[in-house]
Amino acid sequence: MADLNGIRIGVYVCHCGKNIGGTVRCDEVAEYARQLPGVALATDSLYTCSEPGQEQIKHDIREHQLNRVVVASCTPRLHEPTFRAACESAGLNPYLLEMANIREHCSWVHLHDKDAATEKAKDLVAMAVGRAAKLMPQFEVTVPVARKAMVIGGGVAGIQAALDMADAGYQVYLVERTGSIGGRMAQIDKTFPTMDCSICILAPKMSEVGRHPNIELLTLSEVQEVQGHIGNFKVKVLKKARYVTKECTACGDCIKASPQHAPDEFNAGLSIRRAIYIPFAQAVPSTFLVDMDRCLNNSGIVACDRCFQACSHKCIDFAANDEVLDLDVGTIVVATGVDVYDPTALTELGYGKFPNVITTLEFERLINAGGPSGGELIRPSDRRRPQRVAFLQCIGSRSKRSNPYCSNVCCMNTVKDALLIKEHWPDTEIYVFYIDIRAFGKGFEDLFQRARREGVTFVRGIPGEIIEDIKTGDLTLLGENTLLGKHYRHRMDMVILSVGIKPHKDADKIQRLLNLATDTDGFYMEAHPKLRPVDTTTGGVFLAGAAEGPKDIKDSVTQASAAASRANILMSRGEVKIPAITSRIDPKKCTACGLCARVCPYHAIEGSKEQGFYRVIEAACQGCGACVPECRFGALDQTHFTEDQIVSQINAALASDPHDKILAFACNWCSYAGADFAGVSRIQYPHNVRIIRTMCSARVSPSWIEKAFIMGAGAVLVSGCHPADCHYNNANQNTARRVERFWKRMEKQGINKDRLRLAWVSAAEGAQFAKVIKEMEAGLKKLTSQQIQEAAEKLQKSLTKKSEAT
Amino acid sequence: MTIKIWKHFPREDLYECYQCARCTGSCPAMEVAPAYGPRETILKCLNLGHDKVVEDEKVWLCCTCNVCEDRCPQKIPISDLLVALRNSAARRGNIPTRLSMALELLAKTGRSMIVHQLDEMRAHHGLSPLPAAPVEELRDILKKTGRDEVIEF
Repeated sequence: MADLNGIRIGVYVCHCGKNIGGTVRCDEVAEYARQLPGVALATDSLYTCSEPGQEQIKHDIREHQLNRVVVASCTPRLHEPTFRAACESAGLNPYLLEMANIREHCSWVHLHDKDAATEKAKDLVAMAVGRAAKLMPQFEVTVPVARKAMVIGGGVAGIQAALDMADAGYQVYLVERTGSIGGRMAQIDKTFPTMDCSICILAPKMSEVGRHPNIELLTLSEVQEVQGHIGNFKVKVLKKARYVTKECTACGDCIKASPQHAPDEFNAGLSIRRAIYIPFAQAVPSTFLVDMDRCLNNSGIVACDRCFQACSHKCIDFAANDEVLDLDVGTIVVATGVDVYDPTALTELGYGKFPNVITTLEFERLINAGGPSGGELIRPSDRRRPQRVAFLQCIGSRSKRSNPYCSNVCCMNTVKDALLIKEHWPDTEIYVFYIDIRAFGKGFEDLFQRARREGVTFVRGIPGEIIEDIKTGDLTLLGENTLLGKHYRHRMDMVILSVGIKPHKDADKIQRLLNLATDTDGFYMEAHPKLRPVDTTTGGVFLAGAAEGPKDIKDSVTQASAAASRANILMSRGEVKIPAITSRIDPKKCTACGLCARVCPYHAIEGSKEQGFYRVIEAACQGCGACVPECRFGALDQTHFTEDQIVSQINAALASDPHDKILAFACNWCSYAGADFAGVSRIQYPHNVRIIRTMCSARVSPSWIEKAFIMGAGAVLVSGCHPADCHYNNANQNTARRVERFWKRMEKQGINKDRLRLAWVSAAEGAQFAKVIKEMEAGLKKLTSQQIQEAAEKLQKSLTKKSEAT
Repeated sequence: MTIKIWKHFPREDLYECYQCARCTGSCPAMEVAPAYGPRETILKCLNLGHDKVVEDEKVWLCCTCNVCEDRCPQKIPISDLLVALRNSAARRGNIPTRLSMALELLAKTGRSMIVHQLDEMRAHHGLSPLPAAPVEELRDILKKTGRDEVIEF
């Protein structure tokens, strides 16, 4: 097609092997693109992201003087950086690239309708070409990255990440909520599959953290507030008073003097500690602490000073106060770990009711030499050594009644525990009741075989019920051996429930503070499940350990090192480029009303009525665009997501058969990613939806919705992150407000307000996105063309009236 | 006659069963009739098809106490499945005689058991005879719920 004011667009339609080419007729799409305004050339290739594919683009930019590039392939969330780099190396500004997502949003979700998928791909390419014509070169600003890091969580993953970053020469703050680092690994007796003593291999690492010159260890501390962005986070940490000074030698004289008792958390409640205590023998820091909830001095008056009297160094200070620390860090590693499932809710198993039914974590403490029984295996009811022990697998895992996922570690943990019992007390009869034994890791199958050879009996079939003999405390397990198809009744001395793991109870707090996404199970989401497995969608924040998903010690350590390495890359480079997507104010149009400043979630717009102007502080602006629709005078616009760019996308999307179409606006972080996830999961949904990406749903202007309906769009979807999960400090509350206002307007004008839908879809909710589209499609079928036409006329009329008035 | 039981029961739910046998372990019928088990019923539905299951008289051993369903980790509505299977079984003529007799009695007398001896006992204790059962109404109900499709009268 002929030139369009000197604009020369190159369009590349990717087959992605069979991924796109198997459903979309790519040659036909390229042929179609050739006649679009501004397109200088259009071609299809097997793999555009490959080296030859990229070379082709670079060659064409030079040879055919292309000044815009459109790649129709996968999601921009995957390969936008790749193609931007290709453009840049050919001398084209990277912001002159536009992508059409014809894989995740088209071929993968319309696998069985080649014609419809091809037509949709054409539309998506036309939308991209329309936007590309309006793209302008942009230049990114560089911000420095503070060479300091914060690690949240002092379990084995947090310890490893902190050590790796500290060894690389960076200052690390390790923030731990409890009185000592060590986490779950410190509680475990032995590790699988090598049967190493857990604390023996962990303790050296813990003390290394304690004495490392680059690590500042903050125990009894919680992150309260995180402001700022990649390279420059401002963190507030609440450091609770320990009431014992550093001079403490951990001699333990105070313990005997303390009159107050509490269940010992470290021993899973199986023993008792005092109000002044040390979490465990190898604790780092090896300083005692006072549990103020238990201490008699908790009202602020010193009513008892027995421990102080007993302390020869006088290092107990009841006047100590909590303090709030302000930290400036460049990167953050999140290693908040896991809690264990509480099986009390499964009443048929009798946990909490029958003393001899215990969990695996309690068992770990029981069999540990430093535990409440000194490593003697005894059962709680009569402290007798059990002769017959049963393990029940998948308790609290793989179930809709608890956690739906496999907890990953319980199978091998049980095999290890069974072998430990056999090692010390070979005459013990051990039964493992299981559904599937998952021994998938290195050395796991060997361990499983060893357990069988040692005489551990594996019975396929979980008991339905446990009955206790009140007199003896013995337990009878009722169930079915599914391999024999026979009912069993096994009398046992002790039952160990192999409980699953779940995200730490404070995980959602950290999630909100750092704007992280979680999957449906509550674990933190990676930026990409395969290729960016330790990054998060928040720049500069990385994930380590089981907080990201259930994993064993080895995997946690591996991931921690990976996260540290990713953070080290940022810190060693010392600077990072910020995307050029900030808002801009046109001083000629600005009336200094200040509405924009009021909605900015980052206080990045300064000025006042008195001064007569407002302006955007570029370094503080995060590029959500929430301010733009707020301006009644059209004085604001967002770089790279400009009004005319989006409007040309809307025009292209609704150029043909608008009545049958659903125009969807999706935010980059959650909803667009959710639609991508629907694609990756191959969840099929109606093909008449056309998705336009904005950074935040708050960028969606009511005028776009109005325009879409005037053009005859059947339905409009505005979707963003769930209210508390917005990546821009709850900017999406503006989205809700604006949509609600538009609904009222529709109601007033007698337009069916179901045609405009507001949906919160997270990055993990591919199925939810598909469901929303299906529901909208069903609603669309009930509409007549006449209704759509009438509504369009009504909106047009009021728009004309409004513009006449101004 | 093939009755599509999946109209009355969400078949996809069955696919979620991973045979943990918590259901059978909880089953009171299994205690007295070891031949029966909900886990096996589900497995047979999945592997052999429900046609095979409804031919088997074992489907009539379930007492719909719902304990299996309460404890099922996958929340499979097992009692609903058994009801659907038994409806299907009855329509194909697999219905125990004692049950079809009870149904017949219900249609004829309005009661599922013979009660005239009861009347004598009641008279002996000075109680008034039982009130007449609403036979017509019951017949209507039975007709509407499909008795005629199940048993010939």
